[in-house]
Order: sequence, then C-alpha cells, then structure tokens
Amino acid sequence: MEKINIICVDDEREVLESVVHDLEYFSDMFNIEECESAFECLELLEELDAQQEYVAVLISDHVMPEKSGVELLTEVALDNRFLGTKKLLLTGLATQADTIRAINNAKLDNFLEKVWDPQELLQTVKELLTEYIVEKGIDYEVYIEKLDAPTLYRLIKC
Amino acid sequence: MKKIQLKYVLPIVIPLIILLLPITSFGIVDMTLVEQRIIAIFVMAALCWVLEPIPIYATSVLIIVLELLLISDKGLWFSKTPSPELGHLISYKTIMGTFSSPIIMLFLGGFFLAMAATKYRLDINLARVLLKPFGKNPKYVMLGLMIITAIFSMFMSNTATTAMMLSILTPVLALFASKDLGKVAFALSVPVAANIGGIGTPIGTPPNAVALKYLVDENNISFGEWMVFGVPFVIVMLFIAWLLLSTLFPSSIKEINLNIKGRFLKTPKAIIVYVTFIVTILLWLMGGLHGMNSYVVALIPVAVFSMFKIITKEDLKKISWDVLWLVSGGIALGVGLDQSGLAANAIEAIPFAEFHPLLLIVGASLLCLLMANFMSHTATANLLLPLVAALGASMHSLLPYGGEVVLILAVTFAASLGMSLPISTPPNALAYASGHVETKQMARVGGGIGIIGLLITYAMLYMLKQISFIG
Amino acid sequence: MIKQNLKYILPVILPLIVLLLPASSFGIEGLTLVEQRVIAIFVMAALCWVLEPIPIYATSVLIIVFELLLISDNGLWFATNSPVEQQGHLLKQSTIMATFASPIIMLFLGGFFLAMAATKYRLDVNLARVLLRPFGNSPKYVMLGIMMITAIFSMFMSNTATTAMMLSILTPVLALFAKEDIGKVAFALSVPVAANIGGIATPIGTPPNAVALKYLVDEYSVSFAEWMAIGVPFVTVMLLIAWLLLNYLFPADTKTIKLDIEGHFLKTPKAYLVYMTFTLTILLWLLGGVHGMSSYVVAMLPVAIFSMFKIITKDDLKNISWDVLWLVSGGIALGVALDKSGLASNAIDSIPFDSFHPLLLIVGASLLCLLMANFMSGILKIRRCLKWG
Repeated sequence: MEKINIICVDDEREVLESVVHDLEYFSDMFNIEECESAFECLELLEELDAQQEYVAVLISDHVMPEKSGVELLTEVALDNRFLGTKKLLLTGLATQADTIRAINNAKLDNFLEKVWDPQELLQTVKELLTEYIVEKGIDYEVYIEKLDAPTLYRLIKC
Repeated sequence: MKKIQLKYVLPIVIPLIILLLPITSFGIVDMTLVEQRIIAIFVMAALCWVLEPIPIYATSVLIIVLELLLISDKGLWFSKTPSPELGHLISYKTIMGTFSSPIIMLFLGGFFLAMAATKYRLDINLARVLLKPFGKNPKYVMLGLMIITAIFSMFMSNTATTAMMLSILTPVLALFASKDLGKVAFALSVPVAANIGGIGTPIGTPPNAVALKYLVDENNISFGEWMVFGVPFVIVMLFIAWLLLSTLFPSSIKEINLNIKGRFLKTPKAIIVYVTFIVTILLWLMGGLHGMNSYVVALIPVAVFSMFKIITKEDLKKISWDVLWLVSGGIALGVGLDQSGLAANAIEAIPFAEFHPLLLIVGASLLCLLMANFMSHTATANLLLPLVAALGASMHSLLPYGGEVVLILAVTFAASLGMSLPISTPPNALAYASGHVETKQMARVGGGIGIIGLLITYAMLYMLKQISFIG
Repeated sequence: MIKQNLKYILPVILPLIVLLLPASSFGIEGLTLVEQRVIAIFVMAALCWVLEPIPIYATSVLIIVFELLLISDNGLWFATNSPVEQQGHLLKQSTIMATFASPIIMLFLGGFFLAMAATKYRLDVNLARVLLRPFGNSPKYVMLGIMMITAIFSMFMSNTATTAMMLSILTPVLALFAKEDIGKVAFALSVPVAANIGGIATPIGTPPNAVALKYLVDEYSVSFAEWMAIGVPFVTVMLLIAWLLLNYLFPADTKTIKLDIEGHFLKTPKAYLVYMTFTLTILLWLLGGVHGMSSYVVAMLPVAIFSMFKIITKDDLKNISWDVLWLVSGGIALGVALDKSGLASNAIDSIPFDSFHPLLLIVGASLLCLLMANFMSGILKIRRCLKWG
C-alpha cells in the first residue's frame, strides 16, 4: 500500500483540529498531516518528497502570518514534484483579488468558505482524493471503500 | 492547393501503378509477384515518410498491415492464388513479430532506464552534481552542459534530455541581455549535444538500433564495441561543436549561475534504481563475460522495475510506443526486402559494381545527411539502411575498405548528424521554441556540424579499418 | 508476521529448490535441464500469481526474462554450456521475445483500438442511449436492457471499462431509489454481472478467451465466428438466468425509472470513419472464411486505419492497457516454453491421467478453475487449466 498524505494548514490550532476531526473518516488508510504555518508545510513537503510519498490533497487557510495560503498554494502549483496535488482553499476572509489570484496562479481545485459544512468538506476531499488516485495511476482497488464512486466511474477508462 | 493535394495523391497513385505494371517491366530477371508488391510497399513508405500525409508512426503500422494483407500466408484471398510467379509468402507471425523484435526490446529497456531515472530524479541530481566543477565562466558552463546532455542522451531519448536541460537553462537565459549572442550559443548547445550524444550507444537514438538489425553474423557489433568507437567520436564532435558555438556566438556575460534544487533520493526504491542502472550498463559493456547479448540484458531493468513497482502500469503508458512502432515498421520493411529475396535480386540487376566503392560510401551518406535534415532520423534510417545493407553485402569491391559495416555505419552516423533546421529533430524544435534562436543561426551551426561530422566519420572508419577493428 | 512474509519467501525458495533438485527426483523419464528450469519458472509464476507479491503483469515480465536468462540460446553463461544430452533443447531468443507481439496480442490490440475509438467518438454512450429506449420505464425491463447492452459492449470492450461507463449512467438513477428499496442492489449488481458474462462471447471479450485461442490450434482451431456461434447463445441464456435471479432476489419497489442520457451521434467525417471501420472489422471477423485473412490479420486493420487518420493519436496510444497485453504475453511465453522444451508432452506421459474418467477430469478442472477465478484476477487461472487439458 502506498503512503498517501492529506495535509491541512491553518495557523489557528482550534480550526486545524476541527478540520482534522472532520477528516477522521480517512485516517485509517491515509496519513493526515497538520501544519500551523506555510513554512511548516513547505518543510513537511520536502520531507515527504524525500521519502517519495504522495501528497494527494493540500487544504490551506488563506490568512496566515508571514506567508498566505494563496502564496503557499501557488508555490506548490509551480513545483514539478507536486504535479497533480489537489489544492483546496478553506477561508472566510479572502478578498475578491485573493480569490482571483488563487484561481489563476495557484490553480485551485476547490474553494470552501468558513464556517464549512463538515459533510461538504468530507465529500469534497473524497472527490479530490479519488481524482488524484486515478490520475496518478495508484491502484484504486485498495482504497475503494474510502473513495467516491461516481467520480471513479467517470474517470476509469480501461 | 494543388501542392497540398499532391502529398495525399502521390503515395496512393504511384504504389498502385507499380502494383499494376506487368512484371517484366522492372527489368529484374525472375521477379515474383511478392517482390513486386514489396517494391510497391517500399515506394509507398518512402513517399509517406517524405511527404508526411499521415503521422510517421502510422506509416510504420501501414507497412506492417499491407505486408500482412499482401505478402503473408494469412493475407487477402487473391494475394495467395498459387501461380508460378507468386514467389515466397512470408509467415504472418514473422511480420507481427517485428513489433517485438530484439531491437525493440533493446529500446524498451532503454526507455525503462530513462523513465526510472527521471521518476527518481537521478537525471536532474546528476546534472546538479556534474555541473559543479565547471565553475561560473559561461564558456565552461556551456561545455559542462554539453557534456552532461551528451552523456544523458546516450541512454535517454534525445528529446527528453533536451527538454530537461532546457528547463534548467531557461531561468539563466532570461538573465542575458536581449542582444547578447551568448544566449544563442546556450540555447543551441543543448540540442546539438543531445543529437551528437545519441550516437554514442546503440540505444542512444533509434537509427543506431535499426543499424544493429543489419549488423549480424560476422559483422555483429556488441553494445561495448559500439561504445568503443561511438564515445570517442562523440567527444571529438562535442569539442568541435563547443569551439564552433563559442566562436560564432561569444557571450558578453562574465559569470553565470545555474541553480538546481533538490537532493539525491535515498529511499530503498531509489537505491534499487541506482543499482539497476549501473548493473545494466555494466552488463551491456561486458557482453562477452556473461553470455547474455545486449537484447537479453535490456529486459533485466524491465523485470526489476516492474517487480518492485518502480515503474507502475500507469508509467507503462508514458513509454513512447509510437517510437517503438516507428522502428518496427522499418524492421518489417527490412524483413520484407530480405525474406522475399528482392534485396539480393534487385542489387544484381543494377550495375553498382561499376561504381567506385568510395563514391558509393560518400554518396549514400551525403544522401542520408540531406534526408535526415528534412525528415525524421528514424524514418531516414528505416528507408536507407535496408537498401544500403543489401548493397553492401553484394559489393565485393567494398571489401578493401572494410565491407558492408563501413557503409552501414557511415549512413547511420549521417542520419544522426542531420540537425540544421528546426524540423530536423525534436530537440531542434524544442530549442527553436525557446525563441532565442533564429533558423539561420541554427542552419549555420547544424550544417557545419553535419559536414564536419561526416568527414570525421570517414576518418574514424578509415582508422578502425587500419587497426582491423572492423571489416 | 511470518504469514505476511511467506508470500515473498515462497515464490523465491520453492523455485530454487526445484532448480537444485537432481533431475532424477521428478519421476519424469529423460528430464533435461531445460525442462527442469521450465518447471521452476512455472512454479514461480504460479506462486507469484496466486500470492501476488508483485503486480500480476510484472510476473509475466519476470517469466519472459527468466526464460531468456535460463533457457534461451543467449542466456547466462552457465545456463547454456552443459552437454547437449543433459541440457536439452534451448529456445531461440527471438521466439521468446516474439511472445510480446504474438498474433493473440495483436488480436487484443485491435480490440483495444476499436474500444478506444468507440469511446473517443462517443459511439458507446450513444449506442447505449438508442438501444435502451425500447425497454420502456419499468425497472425490470430497464434492467434487462442495461444488462444486454452491457453484455454487448463487453464483447468488444474491456469488462472494466464497460462497467465503469454503465455505472456512471446508472448513478443518478440509483440516487432516486428509496433508501430501503433493495432494487438498488439489483441494478448495481446487474452491470458487473452482465459485463463478466458478456466477455465470454467473443475471443477478444476477455483475456482468458485469447489465451485459450493460443491452445486451440490445428484440428481444434476455432475461428472468430465459430467462437461467437457458441459464445453468443451461451451469453444470452446466462443473461436471462442472471436477470431472473436478480429480479427474484432483489425486487424493486419503484414503479418507473427514467434513464437520462444526453448527446447525439457525432456526424464528423472522422466519426463516420470510426463507425465504418467498426462495422467492417466485425464483419470481416465474422466472415473469416470468405476473404482468407485470419482474425489476427483483420485485427490489424483498425490499428492501421485509426492511426493513419489520426483518430487514435500517439497520445491515445498511451491509454492502451499495455499491462494487460504484457500479462497475456507472459502466459503465452509460459505455454511456448512448456511446449517447445518438450516438457508438456513428457510430463503428461508420466502422469497416469488416462486412468481418470474424462468427465471427471473436465468437471474437476473446471471447478478448480472457477474456485481460483473467484480469488485471482480473472485472466490468470485459465492458463494452468488449459495446459492440463
């Protein structure tokens, strides 16, 4: 079984914990990582990459000290090593300009507003994860119970 | 308008005319129907590859299918009607087998090595380490880049190597002043080095592999033997290209700084990749000791990488299957010419023996160089090599000059030296796309290198003959 | 822990033991070294496929590489220099490599090209739309329609691709069912069941059929049309039974059901070419006797036509399931080795199969195969059963 990671980034401890709590569903098959800043996340990405682990979904808050979520996601989007990683912005405080930058530069895959509906977050991550696994050609049968069936049917071609 | 139509009409009409002509009109004694059909297929292939009405790999598929339909034992009903003139039908299994002939397997092994190296970032990390000793002087950095590009393209596809090196170079090129000629030198150095480097090993570029197909029996050249003359040739050519580029396009920048991020991966899988890479190359070089020929060795990385899931079934899809099929078509053409007996028959009917052998070597390689500048190198080799091989085998006057091998090698090398236009090779096209190079500049460098390369090829072959390495 | 490691250890140790045993211990008279090595490779392959320590297609590659190393004329130095009488008959390197492009593989390649083009030009979805219409709105008959269409498609496309496509059509409908309605189960099951059954009908429907063709040669040779003459009625009967069974076990409460498939047939020149080639290829396959071409040669026609007209581009080539082709190649290579080394005929002679009742053998072998098939990838089991037959 491959090591597949879901990374959550938020500078507020409570928010981070609540995101991780909502993603509990995935924790027995996937690795859920927590980061409290963009820099911590970049460091973690280096480490994971050195171990050749997969980074499937990156969920980030936008407003954070030093480096914003959009900046972080843009950096990841331009890094060849994380080609295909699904990027989700989870924020209540993004201006329209931020949002435009996030879509154009960070090639965002999904945008959720704070306060989020746990069910919606779960479903979104499920779909993104499924897309990532099929696109990367990872053996989906192992993870099938945690994946989103309609997405799977849509993407499988052979 | 008419011109566009021609490229579709000619490849259909001319082969049809050949098919319908009475058999006696070819002037070859005892020609059979099968042989006539092969001539038609050959002409169609030549026209399709030159005019490119369909993708070049599709031409290869077409060759194979037409051979199956017209000259195989399971072909169309009317193609098999027994008659004294029918000639020898070829087994359909033999024709299909060209899709996985040993040559193809050799290439497949090469693809696996290259894919694993890229996936585990061996290529970029090696580039980082190897570039360090070349310092910061633009002239020497360029030399470093060229050497590394050449080394990589010996084992990876020329296109992939060029793409990788150009992506390293792009941020640096942006720092040059817009009128600085040095930019041109750098942008050209990569495709030139990649094209030259491909000559160094049998798997460096498809024409070499196609040549191996015709170097059999007493002319057999092993992987190691190829490198014995290939690598020195590459070194000399690289040096000349470097001098040429740095005199034609001197750089006004004093210092250049290449910044490549990353570190060597140290996961167990990455280490398997490193070890397999080294073992495979060693086994290729020491062909005599372990009894396996280079084709069998090539499948070892295939097995190891698929076993350890280093290359997954998803990665399999990234293999350039079209390149493999392109080579297959060439091999099928050769098989058709050879097994039907046409090659031997036709050569006898044409009085080549009256030509001077040196004239023939020079003529054939010049023709090849010319064609390679305008069309795919592999397609050029696919077309010319079967003819040249048949010619070489039947011409006894060639023997004092080294025989068939000399002729085949001269043509093969010439095929890789065609690089004067953006359309000559994919690496050239990539460099042209960078926007730093004009066609005129590329033509000057590429044309110069082509001619010089050919002269050096002759010199090298002469020397190899003197020391009895070949012939 | 040990149990987990066993799946890695066994496929290494057992074949090694087989290799190192003295030739006399096998109880087969005149067993040569080459034959002994073939047994070892066979044992390794069986263990690797059953225990799956490595991907199943990798096992196939491994078989081919080991054959090249151990029993080919260009193998390892110690494998090729024993005295002839002990060593037995070495296989030619090109024969082993050619299994990557044996006629069976080409047949499959042709099938892949047809399926890819059909999907790319939406022939499959559009056909499904048109064909489903006459089945009305009653869940029972809609299900029958879905099963028939799935079966027809899976005759020419991969079972997985067909299932994925049909399920994606079904998903929105299934969402409309009441939570307690077990009719949902029937619909969800009907698709994979029909796809598996449908695959039986043509030689290219599923890889096991193609592997079987390899062994049906000479007087037992079965043409494409002959296979379908047996296969299609069988599939029809099986589909009906499956339909009745599903309806009986999981009756639906919903009264009407509406499948909404959008789209219309493409009418570009390329699309017409796809339709024509599709029809032509299938006709040529069915009319094998008339035009003289074998089904393998016919399979190459769509390959040539689609690549010529850029219907399948070189990027589409990459979507072919090369792993499936390689998986089949490995099976063929195993068969070639058993056959050409003389082991197959040798071994059968020394085992007293004759004393069994033939019916017992047929029933026994097929039951074993069914049992294995339920646990292993569909395609693998058939090889061993066929070889014993």
